[in-house]
Amino acid sequence: MDIIEHPPILRLPGIPDHITYTWIAMLVLVVVSIAATRRLALVPSGVQNFMEMVIDQFHQLLDEVIGAGGRRYLPLVGTLGLFILLSNLMGLVPGLAAPTANLNTTAACALIVFFTYHVIGVRKQGLINYLKHFAGPVPGPLKPLMFVIEVISHLARPLSLSLRLFGNMAGGHILIAIFFFMMGFDGLLGWALTGSFGGLVIGAPGTIVAAAFVIGFLMPLKILVAFLQAFIFCMLTMIYITGALEEAEHEAHHAPAGHH
Amino acid sequence: MRRTLMFALMAVLAVPGVALAQAAAAGATDWVKPAAALAAGLGFGLAAGLCGLGQGRAAGSAVDAMARQPGNTNRIQTAMILGLAFIESLVLFVFVIAVILLFVKS
Repeated sequence: MDIIEHPPILRLPGIPDHITYTWIAMLVLVVVSIAATRRLALVPSGVQNFMEMVIDQFHQLLDEVIGAGGRRYLPLVGTLGLFILLSNLMGLVPGLAAPTANLNTTAACALIVFFTYHVIGVRKQGLINYLKHFAGPVPGPLKPLMFVIEVISHLARPLSLSLRLFGNMAGGHILIAIFFFMMGFDGLLGWALTGSFGGLVIGAPGTIVAAAFVIGFLMPLKILVAFLQAFIFCMLTMIYITGALEEAEHEAHHAPAGHH
Repeated sequence: MRRTLMFALMAVLAVPGVALAQAAAAGATDWVKPAAALAAGLGFGLAAGLCGLGQGRAAGSAVDAMARQPGNTNRIQTAMILGLAFIESLVLFVFVIAVILLFVKS
């Protein structure tokens, strides 16, 4: 992909770009968090005000999806959400790279979610009960089949989680890179500058149209996608956690019902 | 019958090998790149088109539901976005495969 994607400005020798920019995103988040909590005031202002608003949004989301006790998972969900959002938005700034446009970063996030929700489920319910629930509410002979299917579906979750984020980010970058290539000196603009008749008639207006399309449509769309993908990642994390917790509650409700 | 099947299977398994061997013998694997481009384009077009149909249905139903129940707009919207993400992720699998086909040197 080096053919169409220009390298970012800051490159550390021997370290892949996505790791460098992951560090930068981490640094920004840490600095903002420290700035927000350094002088906590009862009546917040400035950075603290903003971060409280963000945390409030996460609280609302957690209450809505997980319900009571959902705020326990704010550190996981909030960190993932803010990191992914910042990473996605970094990809829109020319000269910076988006860490989430690399499969390694997204796979790391997805694997964290995968192991976390299993650990939450096992902790809530115990290993045997948690595994038992994979067999689902089907009659006895079908249970092994159901178990295998359920295990495969659980294994597909980190795959789809990581590939969705990576695909959206990398796809958008390739799209914008192709548009920049198209309207650059190798494309329409170069054609217009040759001074040929076709270049003047098609190349010059084409450059303007392509630039207007990128500025007016693609960039807003990419910003929307950046927010949306971060939201979807958080939402799915919460839904998976809810699934692990609900199985526990479901089992607890089932046990007395079985005695009747 | 079984022998025919076995033979067919062996033929299917052997043909790419033979072709590869011939190409390698000729010193060129020219057919790989055009075939990869064709597969990437056709596959991604098919996936994107069908995803458009699916997402159109999902979004249409969501708008329908919102028009009927304006009070529940937020929850419907969340469910719709999640559904769209799931539909979209299938296309993104194809996208990743297409990128692999196009950019990974074989």
